[in-house]
Amino acid sequence: MAATLTANAPARPRKLLASRRTRVGIVYALPVVVYLLVLFVYPIFSTLLLSLKDADGSFTLHWYADALTGVNLSVLITTLRISAETAVLSLVFGFVLAQAITRLRPVWAGLAMLVVVVPHFVSALVRTYGWIIMLGDKGLVNETLTAMSVPGAPFQLLYNELGVVIGTTSMMLPYTVLLLYGVMRGVDRRLLAAAASMGAGRVTIFCRIYLPLVGPGLASAGLLSFILSLGYYITPALMGGPKQTMIATLINQQVTKENQWNGAAAQGVILLLLTLAGLLLVKLVSSLGASRKKRSAS
Amino acid sequence: MMELRKSLAGRIALTAIATVILLFLALPIVVILVTSFSNNAFAAFPPEAWTLNWYKALFADGSKWPAALSLSALVAAMSTVFSLIIGVTAATALVRSELPLRSAVFALVLGPLVIPQIVTALGLFLLFEPAAMLGSPIAIALGHTVLASPIAVLILIATLRGIDERLEDAAASMGAGRLTIARKITFPLAAPGMIAAAIFSFITSFDEFYISQFLSSVDTVTLPVQVYNSLTFEIDPSVTAVSAILIAFAILALGLVALVRWLGSGRQESLLSVENTVGVANPGGEAV
Amino acid sequence: MADFGIAAPSVKVADGKSATATGKSLSVVALRKTYGGVVAVDEASMEIEAGEFVTFLGSSGSGKTTTLMMIAGFCEPDSGTITVGDRDVTRLAPQKRGLGFVFQQYLLFPHMTVSENVAFPLILRGVAKNEIRRRVGETLEIAGLSGFGGRKPRELSGGQQQRVALCRALVYRPPVILMDEPLGALDKKLRDQLQVEIKTIQQELGLTVIYVTHDQEEALVMSDRIAVMRNGLIEQFDSPRELFERPRTPFVADFLGAANFLPGRIEQHDGEHTLVRLDNSGGLITARRHQLAANTPVKVAVQPGRLRACAADDGFCTGTVETATYVGTLVRAGVRIDGGDGPLVRLEVPAGRGPVAGERVGITADPEDVNLFADEQAG
Repeated sequence: MAATLTANAPARPRKLLASRRTRVGIVYALPVVVYLLVLFVYPIFSTLLLSLKDADGSFTLHWYADALTGVNLSVLITTLRISAETAVLSLVFGFVLAQAITRLRPVWAGLAMLVVVVPHFVSALVRTYGWIIMLGDKGLVNETLTAMSVPGAPFQLLYNELGVVIGTTSMMLPYTVLLLYGVMRGVDRRLLAAAASMGAGRVTIFCRIYLPLVGPGLASAGLLSFILSLGYYITPALMGGPKQTMIATLINQQVTKENQWNGAAAQGVILLLLTLAGLLLVKLVSSLGASRKKRSAS
Repeated sequence: MMELRKSLAGRIALTAIATVILLFLALPIVVILVTSFSNNAFAAFPPEAWTLNWYKALFADGSKWPAALSLSALVAAMSTVFSLIIGVTAATALVRSELPLRSAVFALVLGPLVIPQIVTALGLFLLFEPAAMLGSPIAIALGHTVLASPIAVLILIATLRGIDERLEDAAASMGAGRLTIARKITFPLAAPGMIAAAIFSFITSFDEFYISQFLSSVDTVTLPVQVYNSLTFEIDPSVTAVSAILIAFAILALGLVALVRWLGSGRQESLLSVENTVGVANPGGEAV
Repeated sequence: MADFGIAAPSVKVADGKSATATGKSLSVVALRKTYGGVVAVDEASMEIEAGEFVTFLGSSGSGKTTTLMMIAGFCEPDSGTITVGDRDVTRLAPQKRGLGFVFQQYLLFPHMTVSENVAFPLILRGVAKNEIRRRVGETLEIAGLSGFGGRKPRELSGGQQQRVALCRALVYRPPVILMDEPLGALDKKLRDQLQVEIKTIQQELGLTVIYVTHDQEEALVMSDRIAVMRNGLIEQFDSPRELFERPRTPFVADFLGAANFLPGRIEQHDGEHTLVRLDNSGGLITARRHQLAANTPVKVAVQPGRLRACAADDGFCTGTVETATYVGTLVRAGVRIDGGDGPLVRLEVPAGRGPVAGERVGITADPEDVNLFADEQAG
């Protein structure tokens, strides 16, 4: 009840009640704060330190120089390229599917959403294995294409970039569908009808009204799937060839095979910085969207 | 309802494309379920003959799967307990108190969910390796809790927000003490959320790969790491059966969460509604 | 949550018998509460007798809810004392005060049935199972809810939910039941019906009730005494009749009676009465005897219903009817007084004999209905 009381009060009630609630808060926040400081923040901090330390313990930037030259640089570029391809594809497919779900009858929409959500909770490893079975020379896809006498079948669908992008796109798709579905549900469809009543055609309505309304949501969803793809390991490692090595694979190799911790740490920090930059962009985009919404509301 | 009219052709096109995309999502899973009963466990679809051999082979002598399964179950059980303890306390602090630096604490909780898991895993490796704790189930469970506890916190924040705090005041006005209020009012109302938090913590740990990979040793290998190894190094046809079991397990867990959510919400919306499904997928959604 | 406190309340209320004993039930002395320097409740004091229905009436921000919350224990006073019976409860936690509380938002426990909700406080008090069943049944019957015991709260209407909340508060016979705008969320018709029901139950069981509302009519219908509050101060604490007919401040006269205020000066005292010369019309009005000295500027307050229309030039002033609105049994008229540019004087007269717009009327009032207040603003 204190909450409802303070609502009309100009300031919070100080003294006993407030200090008791603060004390309770601090005591209860302790486990999570201590836990994450020790097992999350501190390890990342020591990764950062390690990446700046030479073999003799002195300060150096050469691990970063290593990470940004030669093979390592091309791995980084591959990572960015595959992530971008994945982001674009999962955004396009996600947009179409989310759009379809908002238009379907409730029962069908529920079922479709189920098909989106269930894979989301099935281990990525297992889903990747499913793709390997499907995309093999004798897999479902090639058998079907051969049976339809598609020229050139069977195709090489595995252990190349096509295979990796198919795999990562299917991993990211549930995220984009869920995000975009939320964005589309937030659009007031009467606005579209209002535009139509003024004589706007379908294409005009879509480009001039609908896209600007869902634009910030689309941008966030694309950026998020890009960020999530950056650190991806399982699918590229299992479905790609040597040319599709991504940065996470490289980190793993350096730690488990080459015992090259400093180099791995530097690459980890680069990955972290890329992610943080992406998140900053997401925040920027969503605050842009929020301010646009505010302006249209006032 | 004022809406744009939909053209028939447009509807058919949209439905067709949507179906293809849904197949794109569903087929890898269906293929595994089917292939796990096929006499040829590698590729070749549809199967020519059916068998249960791969499931039997899982528990044959010398199989590595039972050990991996029990290690994963043990680790997941420990992480679930840790995550629930952290989740309940943290959600209480964030929702039911005047917490200084509240947004900083919240950002810290979200951290493990947005940082690439490989980075978290690398950090944990650098923490546990000098301590000679690689391969220790406790180390793996502690690592998994870093990923699982934020999910539990988000779910429980949403749960606590959904419980009117004044119900606790009402009970106090009738003479109920703190312990009684927690036991008779808050706990029963939060139970569905706590079950959901437990299930999601368990799945998160059970399916986790990166941290397990970094923290495992030759003797202690979790189920996902074993699956990965048998896909890369050793050819073991039983991996299809294991994958099928993992799928069944995920579906079971999701069904359980949906059921608990549905019962907890007073069966207001249909069990199979989009809202319920999205809610299951995004259990802490309202909190973020 | 350092003190995992007492589960059972320390106040045990005698078996089933209500605390109808006469005498002081609750007293509040010099209660004060500030929020960051702003005074929410200023030195509130009152004594409430057992079996009384007392209402705190005021608009939002008047301090009525804060006072109630301090009595309930959900909010701690800066200073002052609260005594229930002979026990000082000022610094006790809510659960140790043994009072009953009915909230505006019902706050029924959604995971319990109606019966379980009502039984909850009895279970806390360790009452025997049979006794619980008997008392829950009895209480639900009083509120007209027999047969609803097995339902969940969400299966009930708002009015029914509030009846359950009432049952839950009175089943353990607390010495005082506090109600915070319990009917605020209901529509007008249901509110009128429940006002009567609550009042009837209160009288039959001899309950002591403290009720908070911003609705004047609700307060007048239900209360034995009303504390009119404004800006954290109790303006007047009296029976509805006293408040209505003998308001002690202009605020009370306006808030409860929507009185007309006419500026004037005391002309002379005449035995039982005081004569006032009105500033606007220059007319002379007879009021109840007042202590103020002659020539003091005053405000004359008369409620619209206590003014009568008479022949022009017969009353204390004369004017032209500008508006006349028919509202069923009454006509509400607004009269522009000759020689005055102040607000219209509002009258409520029985329909049928009512004045019509444009008519010239005199206005008169019984001296007993005319109240005087010193006018602080006038020089």
